[in-house]
Amino acid sequence: MREIYRYRDLVFALVARELKVRYKRSAIGFLWTMLQPLLMMLVLQVVFSSLFRFKLAFGNYPVFAFAGLLFWNFFSQSIVASMNSLKGNATLLRKLPIPKEVFPLATVISGVINLCFAIVPLLLILVVTEHRLSPALLFLPISILLAALFTLGAGLLLSPLAVFFSDVVEMIGVVLSILMYMTPVIYPMEILKDSRFLPLVRFNPVRSILEVFRDPIYQGEVPPLTHLTVCLVIAVGALAVGAWAFRRSSDRIPFYI
Amino acid sequence: MDDVSIRLEGVSLCYRLAKQRVPSFKEYAIHFLRGALSYEQLWALKEVDLTVRRGESLGIVGRNGAGKSTLLKVISQVLKPTRGTAAIDGRLAPILELGSGFDYELTGLENVYLNALLLGHSRRDIDGKVDEIVEFSGLGDFIRSPLRNYSSGMQARLGFSIATAWVPDILILDEVLAVGDATFTEKCERRLQRFHDSGATVLLVSHTLDAVIKNCARCIWLDDGRVRADGAAREVVSLYRREHGTEPVEHEGGRLQAQA
Repeated sequence: MREIYRYRDLVFALVARELKVRYKRSAIGFLWTMLQPLLMMLVLQVVFSSLFRFKLAFGNYPVFAFAGLLFWNFFSQSIVASMNSLKGNATLLRKLPIPKEVFPLATVISGVINLCFAIVPLLLILVVTEHRLSPALLFLPISILLAALFTLGAGLLLSPLAVFFSDVVEMIGVVLSILMYMTPVIYPMEILKDSRFLPLVRFNPVRSILEVFRDPIYQGEVPPLTHLTVCLVIAVGALAVGAWAFRRSSDRIPFYI
Repeated sequence: MDDVSIRLEGVSLCYRLAKQRVPSFKEYAIHFLRGALSYEQLWALKEVDLTVRRGESLGIVGRNGAGKSTLLKVISQVLKPTRGTAAIDGRLAPILELGSGFDYELTGLENVYLNALLLGHSRRDIDGKVDEIVEFSGLGDFIRSPLRNYSSGMQARLGFSIATAWVPDILILDEVLAVGDATFTEKCERRLQRFHDSGATVLLVSHTLDAVIKNCARCIWLDDGRVRADGAAREVVSLYRREHGTEPVEHEGGRLQAQA
């Protein structure tokens, strides 16, 4: 812990570099962060409004889907990027005694910053679709913090595995796409009411974290305290497990990378 | 006890050879089912005992693959020994390879920051040292151009300047004095001398045996992962010379050492 604190300036430098690389490469720069979920949302709007029909409690599918996708993109992209972050810095890890956690940590922080950028178009959609702008939106920083802790935990757990087994990255890609359908990102959980898959979705921890992020935006409500407590336990638990697993395998990383 | 900065006791380190590595779950499963998760093991260090006192300058000689770099990685706490213990007391400045962590798209100046951050310094520390680093490197206006335009000698100068800008308790140098031109090498040696005078422990790996004699009082000879000789630099080097001819022209990792 203290070691990582000592390297905090390095973490910031890594974050700055990651963001710079990401936004330098393409012509319209960081607009992509906002455009990508926007386009995805339009596609979903077409698909879901004409092919599958379901009733949403608060209508306004675009806001529902966009908020869900923002969370999901943050979660899945951060995990994949964390897994690549150790491999991408192999030369450093073989030569310098750096606390290795800094790489997944920097990845997740830059993911959070991207997520914050993407909230701008979200607000735009809220205004355009005349969705209720609730004071609950002010709760979002806490939602994002919970999401970040959870995601960091998952990233710490998985990134050493990606060093030891090279096919883990591919495998997690598949797992993530399955997980996306097990999480009510683009559909409301109510449509599963009579389905035998309901428990899979309901007891999926990612669902809880997602809802803490989406409820303030879509329903305009701060999630109930019980739900928040559950989420806090999930997020802190995931981080604890991830940090523990990372520490344990940390010494072996330079031998395999 | 207080004046010991490095104490290795029975340190052994085992690499699993790269080709023997199990890179995928499938192979892992196959090997596991065969009950043969055996790897070809390479013991790079075998039962190494080494005590270095504070302020000592220790040279390490040995042929390629004798375990010199592995030993330095154990001391700089990059690799954890498979067996035995490594107790290191003091702030380390490892220069295992000059400029590990340089980003070739960034300018020299930006790399000063990146590199020093990687060595564990804070931004504020670096702000206070950056002028001195640039000055010592002698790169002048080049410091503002991207690193990809640098010659390898220039990169080495920058790397050395960064790593030695802070007086460490333990300075670790792996084959780095040979890279700059003669003037810079001299400058480096003066700086080493200054560190030495201020009580820092210096570890130097080099194939340039004269550099070892010149900069180190004590020397160990590593042979096949074991300490073959340990004593006054001049004596150990001459033992080593006797076995390996006068000045073995060796290259390591593609870096050719031309000898004077």
